[in-house]
Amino acid sequence: RMEASCLELALEGERLCKAGDCRAGVSFFEAAVQVGTEDLKTLSAIYSQLGNAYFYLHEYAKALEYHHHDLTLARTIGDLLGEAKASGNLGNTLKVLGNFEEAIVCCQRHLDISRELSDKVGEARALYNLGNVYHSKGKNVASAGTHDPGELPDDVKDALQKAAEYYEENLTIVTELGDRAAQGRAFGNLGNTHYLLGNFRSAVLAHEQRLLIAKEFGDRSAERRAYSNLGNAYIFLGEFETASEYYKRTLQLARQLKDRAVEAQACYSLGNTYTLLQDYEKAIDYHLKHLAIAQELRDKIGEGRACWSLGNAYTALGNHDQAMHFAEKHLEISREVGDRNGELTARLNLSDLQMVLGLSYSTNTSMMSESQVAESSLNGARPRAGRRHSMENMELMKLTPEKVPNWN
Amino acid sequence: SQPLAGRQAAELQSKVVPSKQILHSDNMEMEPETMETKSVTEYFSKLHMGSLVYSCTGKRKG
Repeated sequence: RMEASCLELALEGERLCKAGDCRAGVSFFEAAVQVGTEDLKTLSAIYSQLGNAYFYLHEYAKALEYHHHDLTLARTIGDLLGEAKASGNLGNTLKVLGNFEEAIVCCQRHLDISRELSDKVGEARALYNLGNVYHSKGKNVASAGTHDPGELPDDVKDALQKAAEYYEENLTIVTELGDRAAQGRAFGNLGNTHYLLGNFRSAVLAHEQRLLIAKEFGDRSAERRAYSNLGNAYIFLGEFETASEYYKRTLQLARQLKDRAVEAQACYSLGNTYTLLQDYEKAIDYHLKHLAIAQELRDKIGEGRACWSLGNAYTALGNHDQAMHFAEKHLEISREVGDRNGELTARLNLSDLQMVLGLSYSTNTSMMSESQVAESSLNGARPRAGRRHSMENMELMKLTPEKVPNWN
Repeated sequence: SQPLAGRQAAELQSKVVPSKQILHSDNMEMEPETMETKSVTEYFSKLHMGSLVYSCTGKRKG
């Protein structure tokens, strides 16, 4: 009988996904679909799990396809709860793909059906998803500009405000339900939303709650996330000492968890924090640690950032030879990765350093004309390199304090 | 000249005032998404078809 074999394949797929082997699970689910079944509810469950497996594998186009199949099927057989779930999954997938408007429609559908069915758990989960969609939407629009958290265009502010409202609504329900894990997730993302809105005190309060719950569960990854987010918030509160303490805990946990990329990020944050504290020796120490890991991970972008930071720190110490060395490396890497902004920044730094070191004025004049180009491009709209790429925010450091609000 | 170079060095040093911008939202750590789950196992247990599901050891009786 075909029925059983489709079922057997699906059950094996389910077992494998539960065990964390999504790749193998997908093969069995795909095979089950090939065999086929008359039972549409079974097929719906297979589609749904295929969609989720592909989602976790970061293959979002495939995830979208299967969640869409699941939604169609659920509607066909009049399975309202199934439709709610499919809508939620489809919404999450659309969000990752950057299709926020459709994501909102799907997540709203998840919410409406859950309320219709008086399904409190589903309602809470839909609210969390909606919060995530609005948060992503806000962050997405915000990242196109350059500004501190808290200095936002209206549409960004509206989206983030909505996100905060959804997280708050979610928190009300999951607190009633006593679902601590869900509370932890909501507090974390609510904290990040407040951070982007510039409500840094509220961000701290939310992340402190998140930290508490992470410790309750012994969830060290979540604990590390909370430390990192707390560090970021304290930077903007101008409490650099406190920020450095939290970043140190982030670093400690990153090392315990053996996550080199996260360790590098923590070193980078610490380097920047000590720069803000004007303790340049410590800043250099951490930036060198960051540089070493970036090289180890073959992260060229990170390496460029590290060289740029080191160049600045050595300049602050008056060690112009070392500053020169790193500025040159920064220029070289910026060219290599095609980071135009980084290249301009590096040229400016080099021309400044050459002037101080009293190098040949012939080089200087050609350098200075480059600088004029760079300077004017800094005041216009700058093309944005991809996420984590550009030096766009760092160029502000080249401007004089009078020109930059929030200088400190 | 010396005084000029000194002034330039001081100027350069004063330029290295960091902006908090360095630590912007790029390294914000988000919580994971939650996906809704459906299960073949649960559905069949509900239908009391556990026997069909769990007795398969390869060959099925016709």
